[in-house]
Amino acid sequence: MKKHITYIVLGLLALVPLLGLSSYMMHILILVIMWSVIGMAWNLLSGYCGQVSFGHAAFFGVGAYTAGMLYSKLGISGWWGFPASVVVVAVFALGIGYICLRLRGPYFALATLAMGVIFRIVAENLVGVTGGDLGIMLRERTWIDKTWYFYIILLVAAVTYYLVRKIIESKLGYYFVAIREDQDAAESLGINTTKYKTIALILSAVITGFAGVFYTNYMGYIDPKVVFALHDISIITIMVVMVGGVATYWGPVVGAIIMVLLAEIIRSIPKLGTAHHTLFGVLLIVIIIFLPNGIVGDFSKLKRLFGMRSPAP
Amino acid sequence: MTAIQTEVLLQTLISGVLLGGLYALIALGMTIIMGVMKIINLAHGELMMVGMYIAFVLFSWLHIDPYLSVFIAAPFLFLLGIGLQKYLINPVMKVDSILPENQVILTVGIGMVLANLATIIFQSDYRQTPVSYGTKAWYLRDYWKDSPVDISLSMPWTVSFTMALLITAGLWFFLTKTDMGKSIRATAQDLDAALLMGVNVERMRVVTFGLGSALVGAAGCLFIPIYYIYPDIGGQFTLISFVITILGGLGSTVGAIIGGLILGLFESLTATYVGMGWAPVGRFVIFVAALIFIPGGVASLLRSRKFGK
Amino acid sequence: MKHLSWVVAVIFAFTLFAVPVFAADTFDLVIPLPLTGKPAKFGEIMKRSYELAAEEINAKGGVKGKKIALSFEDSNGKPETARAIVEKLIDSKKQPVIVGEYTSSCAKAVAAVAEERKTPYLVVASADDDITQKNYKYVFRQNQVNAHYGDAVVSFLKEVVKPKTIAILHESTAFGTSGADAMAKDAASFGAKVVLREKFENGAIDFKPLLSKVKAAQPDVIYTVAYANEAQLIMKQAKELRIDAKLYGGGAAGFAIPEFIKGAQDAAEYVVSATLWTPQLNYPGAKAFADKYKTKYGDYPSYHGASAYAALFVTADALNRAKNWTQDGIRDALKATNLKTAYGPVKFEDKEGYQNQNFHETLAIQVQKGEFETVWPKSHASKPYIYPVPSWRDRK
Repeated sequence: MKKHITYIVLGLLALVPLLGLSSYMMHILILVIMWSVIGMAWNLLSGYCGQVSFGHAAFFGVGAYTAGMLYSKLGISGWWGFPASVVVVAVFALGIGYICLRLRGPYFALATLAMGVIFRIVAENLVGVTGGDLGIMLRERTWIDKTWYFYIILLVAAVTYYLVRKIIESKLGYYFVAIREDQDAAESLGINTTKYKTIALILSAVITGFAGVFYTNYMGYIDPKVVFALHDISIITIMVVMVGGVATYWGPVVGAIIMVLLAEIIRSIPKLGTAHHTLFGVLLIVIIIFLPNGIVGDFSKLKRLFGMRSPAP
Repeated sequence: MTAIQTEVLLQTLISGVLLGGLYALIALGMTIIMGVMKIINLAHGELMMVGMYIAFVLFSWLHIDPYLSVFIAAPFLFLLGIGLQKYLINPVMKVDSILPENQVILTVGIGMVLANLATIIFQSDYRQTPVSYGTKAWYLRDYWKDSPVDISLSMPWTVSFTMALLITAGLWFFLTKTDMGKSIRATAQDLDAALLMGVNVERMRVVTFGLGSALVGAAGCLFIPIYYIYPDIGGQFTLISFVITILGGLGSTVGAIIGGLILGLFESLTATYVGMGWAPVGRFVIFVAALIFIPGGVASLLRSRKFGK
Repeated sequence: MKHLSWVVAVIFAFTLFAVPVFAADTFDLVIPLPLTGKPAKFGEIMKRSYELAAEEINAKGGVKGKKIALSFEDSNGKPETARAIVEKLIDSKKQPVIVGEYTSSCAKAVAAVAEERKTPYLVVASADDDITQKNYKYVFRQNQVNAHYGDAVVSFLKEVVKPKTIAILHESTAFGTSGADAMAKDAASFGAKVVLREKFENGAIDFKPLLSKVKAAQPDVIYTVAYANEAQLIMKQAKELRIDAKLYGGGAAGFAIPEFIKGAQDAAEYVVSATLWTPQLNYPGAKAFADKYKTKYGDYPSYHGASAYAALFVTADALNRAKNWTQDGIRDALKATNLKTAYGPVKFEDKEGYQNQNFHETLAIQVQKGEFETVWPKSHASKPYIYPVPSWRDRK
């Protein structure tokens, strides 16, 4: 059972469009899966390799703009963004990595945060290239029905999940964790930390870029303030993983459910008005105080809390 | 250089210095918090917002001048900061977790709640304190008729700047001359050594967070006569504080002032000679450059030449 | 792991049940708006105005005998959330018409959904030109397009000021950029040279370096497009620098809200701004609405409020005339709208490459003795304009 849970969940998810859910539910599900992808990508770099990035919006935005500009400049479908973004995002990630990866801890975090903001402002100012603040609007989205969007992002998520799992269970994954636990020790063991950190960064960036490509095609409109957003993308990415569980396979998924689905439910509570932010903020504070490693990370603690028996993980 | 070009340059430099001084005060709170605790406090700007609303309420209900409300807002924020640190941040910092950065969620959560409470209480209207001296300025030509250039100096900006300097001097005095200040600095410089020397680190953390909040609250009061408030204003000030903190060096008072001035001048010069749309890029470019080339910030440069403390 | 999937399942189930119930004797209208985040201020003005309108419509018997039951959902200014709300309205609530939103990026997301789902959408205050340039059949816009926001100011400049040079400052958003583009184009029509064009980041604090540069360029007119309070900071700091342009012009938004005068104080005096509506207009109900709003909330509403107020009347009118309350029925009724509202006459036309766009007259207002006065066009003027304006040194 435990061994097959991944396939079962995937299989069940693949059947979801057959349920005839409303377009609204599909939208929320698609966002949940999209955020799971971004979360899994961030987890690779930050959760496993320990390089906490505050600037994943840079990669998300570059991915989104790759798709958008293929459409606006070359007149071809935004879906070509998937292959194109691999190269584009990887190049940008290499550049960012070259600058930021020599820094450690909070310094790395702040440097990536700055990168995200720099990318946004550059996108706003290079009017000739990106269209500036007016953004890019697709004349027509590929499908009206959500089924295909759902399957595409599900496929991206499944591949990402598989990839993360394979990497973490390989030698590469051990190197990542070694770097997170003690970079100096890892170095003295002969691990080329710069190389492996760069690999983690590029993998993480490319996957995040995929989510960006998907966003452009799915939403049909992007502008720099939306796709390079510090709070709405970079910080939410961190929260998705931290709430769900850092360095766990399912953490980003659970985190995405909380950050998208639960946030949407709380937002929709009638009569609450704008106070939904307070409620959600308090919820986040409570989660992190009682479950500092996230819901999946501290799941045994959660079980104990609810009186279930707790075999040590 | 023609007279008009000289005038533009001089005016830009004056603006840069005034802005830099105010930036420095916003960042001071963050630099001491980051220095002592090494945490990334994303609620910093929201604490400033609280300070601004206090000044606003005192002004519109009791007609207290925003500059005087510094003495009310700062103590209030001191207590608020102590509360946050003691009951929310410390418990999370104590637990061993995979990534210590999980406190980010905490500060984001706190910021969200503070901003949202402000929305509920004050609505999202833009508020300001229309003080009588709001648009007063001194002009060089009023004093020296035949001056080739006309330079102006805004009154509220100058007052805010002066008060920011006084507060900074007070902080510097506290940190270097009092026992508690010395303990805080010791904690910032070397946690283990401070513990060995019998410093009550936990208490220092609580005091530091209170102090940092008080400083940024004071900055809020100094800002309101020249700016405005609405509940979601915090984020932009948090970002500026990060830049200056890194530029100046974690935990360094002198560094924060120099960092603030550098940033202020740099932004003003960019706005005049490159374009104001690019000024924020400049801000973050120096930020990244500082991270890479002077990882200890300006403070480390000063220290290596045996200037500052 | 097993328990985990349970947690997931429970949360899913929870949302599935969150589908609301339909009440039969009312017409439920849910309006998506930004009530938190940066644009919340404008969301709030509009929310209050919708509520006032609903009260009045219901007092007169509602639509086809049903009362309008208004409620609001907070979109936080995020396109994904705006989209989620609208998908929900169309699917779960079967709401046949969408009204609302504020920021252009959210309105674009909503417009795309509305068109795909063949549900009429009335845009109330989002200005980006391309919202009604996409050949959408189901998207209607009541407010003027950004390209025309400045029309009255342009004609004022053309006929009264006749400037030789102009400096254009704008904030770096879609609204600011397209407003500045329009003015740059119009400047050629009255023979003014654009000597300086600069943008600034939303939330900027110190404009003095930028303004010193403007001062050195000595333009006849300084025209600024700013969303909110940057407008008052710019005027305050322009006064501090004593930049004597023949005229300061503003492109609506931040220059046309009451906070502008409150914040900039005496520095706001004589500034001429574009606007879409003022309380002094002699449209039916304009004054009454403005007064009612003021007694309840302490300030006159800006044009955003008036547009929202009128939008509900436009919607009610369409609902009353619609053959049936299906999406197409309401669409056809909206298309045939010809209504005199407090916001001005509303009818949706296809011209100049726009579809379903209401082209209404824009106005120029001037701050005189701390009040907004309508000064242009002359037919709507509440006070004569003051021009030339005294230099800063001569004031007081």
